[in-house]
Amino acid sequence: MSAGFGSRVRERAGGAGLRLYLALGVVAALVALLAVLLVAPDSTAGQFAAVLFANSTFASALRLSVPIAFAALGGIFAEKSGVINIGLEGLLIIAAFAGIYAADLLGSPWLGLLGGVAASTLFALLFAVVCIEFRADQIIAGLAVWLIALGLAPFAAQVVYGSTNTPRVATFATLPTMGIPVVSEGVTAELLFGYALVDLPFFGALFSATPMVYVMFAAVVASWWTLNRTAFGRHVRASGENPKALDTAGVSVSRVRYAAVLLSGVLCGFGGAALSLSLGQFIGNGPTMVDGKGFIAIVAYLLGNYNAVGALLSTLLFAGLDALQLTLQARDVIQVPNSLVRTIPYVSVIVVLTLFGRTRTPDAAGDHYESGEE
Amino acid sequence: MSDDGTGGPDGPDGGDPGEGSDAGVRGSVVGWLSRLARASAAERLFISGSALVLSVVIGFFIVLAAGRMTTCDTAAFALPPRVISLGPVSLGPFSWPASMGFCYDPINVYDRLFLGAFGNLAADPLNGQFATTLSETTILVFTGVAVAVAFKAGVFNIGGQGQLVVGALSTAVVVFAVAPLLSGVVGTLVLVPFGLAVGAVAGGLYGALPGALKAYADANEVITTIMLNFVATAVALYLTQDVFQDPDSFATQTRALPSYARFPSLVFPDRAGVSLLALALAVAVAVAVAYTLTRTSFGYDVRTSGLQPEAAEYGGVDAARTVVASMALSGALAGVGGAVYVLMVLGNFQTGVPDYGFDGITVSILAGNNPVGAVGAALLFGVLKSGSIVVDVGTNVPPQLVGVLRGLIVLFVAMPEFFRMVGRRVGDVAPERDRGAVATDGGERE
Repeated sequence: MSAGFGSRVRERAGGAGLRLYLALGVVAALVALLAVLLVAPDSTAGQFAAVLFANSTFASALRLSVPIAFAALGGIFAEKSGVINIGLEGLLIIAAFAGIYAADLLGSPWLGLLGGVAASTLFALLFAVVCIEFRADQIIAGLAVWLIALGLAPFAAQVVYGSTNTPRVATFATLPTMGIPVVSEGVTAELLFGYALVDLPFFGALFSATPMVYVMFAAVVASWWTLNRTAFGRHVRASGENPKALDTAGVSVSRVRYAAVLLSGVLCGFGGAALSLSLGQFIGNGPTMVDGKGFIAIVAYLLGNYNAVGALLSTLLFAGLDALQLTLQARDVIQVPNSLVRTIPYVSVIVVLTLFGRTRTPDAAGDHYESGEE
Repeated sequence: MSDDGTGGPDGPDGGDPGEGSDAGVRGSVVGWLSRLARASAAERLFISGSALVLSVVIGFFIVLAAGRMTTCDTAAFALPPRVISLGPVSLGPFSWPASMGFCYDPINVYDRLFLGAFGNLAADPLNGQFATTLSETTILVFTGVAVAVAFKAGVFNIGGQGQLVVGALSTAVVVFAVAPLLSGVVGTLVLVPFGLAVGAVAGGLYGALPGALKAYADANEVITTIMLNFVATAVALYLTQDVFQDPDSFATQTRALPSYARFPSLVFPDRAGVSLLALALAVAVAVAVAYTLTRTSFGYDVRTSGLQPEAAEYGGVDAARTVVASMALSGALAGVGGAVYVLMVLGNFQTGVPDYGFDGITVSILAGNNPVGAVGAALLFGVLKSGSIVVDVGTNVPPQLVGVLRGLIVLFVAMPEFFRMVGRRVGDVAPERDRGAVATDGGERE
C-alpha cells in the first residue's frame, strides 16, 4: 500500500474472487463445526465448536470489534482521501486514556467518550497539519503519532494517577440494564417458547451488548452512506484518486483531506474511548491495552477493500479469532500454551495481508498534493 | 511513495535534474547520488538539530503542564506573578495574579536527563551510570543501523524489536548449550563471535520473512513487521517460560551463561554490563555498513531500489531479491544487537526486553538513515535512555517522558518543510527544498 517499489500496485481482478473464497471458506468451516457440535459434542472438535458458538464468545467478539471497527472506518476515510493514517493505533491509545480521564473528572462514561473523541481529534489535527501543511512523509508521521501516544498516555496516567494503570471508573451499562423504555424490557421479555431475545443461543449477545456496539453498527452504515452516497464522499474519493481533477473542479484538496483525517480522529476517538470505558480502566504498560488493534484495523480495511461493510466483516473475523483464543485460554480446551494462542490474531493478520496485500490503494494515497495556486 | 511534488514527470514542480528515468547509466547515477548526499548533509544536520531542540522545548512545556496536573506539597518550580491586560480584556492563560507553582521543575529534569547520564565523570570516569549510557549506545547503534539499511532499500523495518528479541533468545539458548564444551580464554574467543553469529542468523531469518512477504506478495512491511514484533514477544515468552526456564529462578529467564561465554568487560568493572570491545564492534559495523552501501555493487543495488525501483529494475537489479537481502541484513544487525544485549548486559535471556528496536527507528531517522551518523544519534539516545533512569530515581517525573520525546523527534524530523518555512522566514538558511527529507522510500530521494 505504500513505500518504495511495493507501491507499484498491480490491479488484480482476482482479488475479489479471493475474498469470495475466503468468505465461503469461513462460512463452510463454521457450518462444519456446527455439525460436529450437534453430532459429536464430546470430541475435541466438538468442544472447540462449543467454545466457538458460545454466547460469551460472540459477546466478546462484538466487544473486541468496537475499537478495531471504528479505527478501520477512520482509516478508510483518511486513506480514501489520499492520506495514509498509520497512526490509528496512537489515536486509539490517546482516546483510551482521555476517555477514562474525562469520565473520572466528569463522572459519566458518556462524557468520558466525548473527552476521548476530543483528544483523538486533536491528535488527528496535529497529524493532518504535519502531513498536509508541512508535507511530512505520511508513514513516518503516522508512526510518530503512535510513538508519541505510546509515551504520552502512560506518562499522563503516571502523572495523574501515580501508575500507568488508572483506577476504575464507571462503565457503560448493557442494553437490558440501560433502562431504555420498551427496548430494555423488550429484549429481556420472554417471547417464544419462554426464550427472551438475550437468551437466544449465540445471537443473544446481540441484544445484551453495551451501547458502543450499536453505535459501531450505526457508524458502519453512516460511513458507507457518507462515502458512497454524498457529495463529501465523492470529494474524498476524488481527493485520493485524482486530486488534480478535484482541484480543477474547484474543490480544495487540502480541505477535503483535513476533513477526512479529522473524521478518522473522531472515529478513532469513539473506538479508543469505547475500549477503555467498556473495561472501566486504562492499562498503560507495555504496548498499552490497545495492543496493536490500530494496526489490525488497517489490515481489516484492506481486507474489506476500503468498504465500510467489508471492513466490519473482516473486523468481526479478527475479533472473532481473538475472542476464540480468549475463551480457549479460559476454558483450557486444547493443550496449547496461552502465550502461543495469543499470537493467533497477529499471525492471521500476516496471513491475510500476504493473501490480500495487493489491494488497489487509491492512486494518490501517500502523495502530497500541492495546488498550483500558491 | 511520497513524491512531495518532485517524483513523477507530471509532478506540479517537475523539471528537477536527473529525473531518474535515465538511471540505466550506472556511473552517472552514482555520481549524482553522491553529489546529492553531499549537498544535503548540512541541511539534514540542520533539520535533525532543529527537531531535537524543538522536541526538547515542547517536552519542557509538557513537564510544566504535567506539573500542574499532579499535586504536591511544595512547588518544585514557580513563575512569579504576572498580570497582562489589554484595556478591559485580561489575557486569561497568559496572566496570573499570584505566583504559579509547578510540581515538576523542567530545568532540573533536563539537567538530570542529559547530565545525569554521565554520572560524575571527573571523580569516576568508570561510574555505573556512564557505563549504562555506553551499553545502551552500543545496542542502539546496531538497531539504528539495522533500520537505516532497510530504509536505504526503500523498506521500512519496524520489526527491529522482534528481530532483536529472536536474536537475543537464540544466542542465549545456543551459546548455553555449546558453552560446556569450552572454557577459559579460548571459550571467550570462540563463544562470543559464535553467539553474535547465532544472533545474526536468527535475526536475519526473522527479518527476511517480512522482506519476502513484501517482495513476492506485496504485503506491506510496516504492518507485517509490527505484527511480527508481537509474535516474537509472545513466542519468546512461551519458550522462556515453558522450555528454557532457569529452574532456580522465579523471574522468567533462561539459565545464566558462564562468564567466559560473555563479552570481556576490559576497562569497566564486570558488573557494569558494558564492554568497550562491543562498542568498538558496533562502530566498526556501522562503518562497514556505510562502506557496503556506498562502495559496493550490492550497496548500489540497495540504494537504487530505494530511490527509483523501476529504474533499478530497468538497470538490471533484481528488486525483489534486493528487498529480501536488505531486510535479512537489517534483521541480522538487529539480531546482533540482541546477541550483544545477552552477551554483554544480561548474561541470559529475560522477557521484557527494552524498546531497543523502536528507539532504533528514531536513531536512524535522526541520523538521516546514514549508518555512521547513527553512531552519534545512538549516543544521544543512549544518554536519553540512561538519563531517564536518573530522572526516575532523582525526580518524581515519570520516565515515560523519554518515550514522548522519542515520538516528537520522529515527528519533527519527518517534517523538514516546517523548518524550511521557518528558515525562509528568518533568512536564507535552507535554499534547497525537498532535500534530505527522511522518507520511507530510501531517504535520499529526488
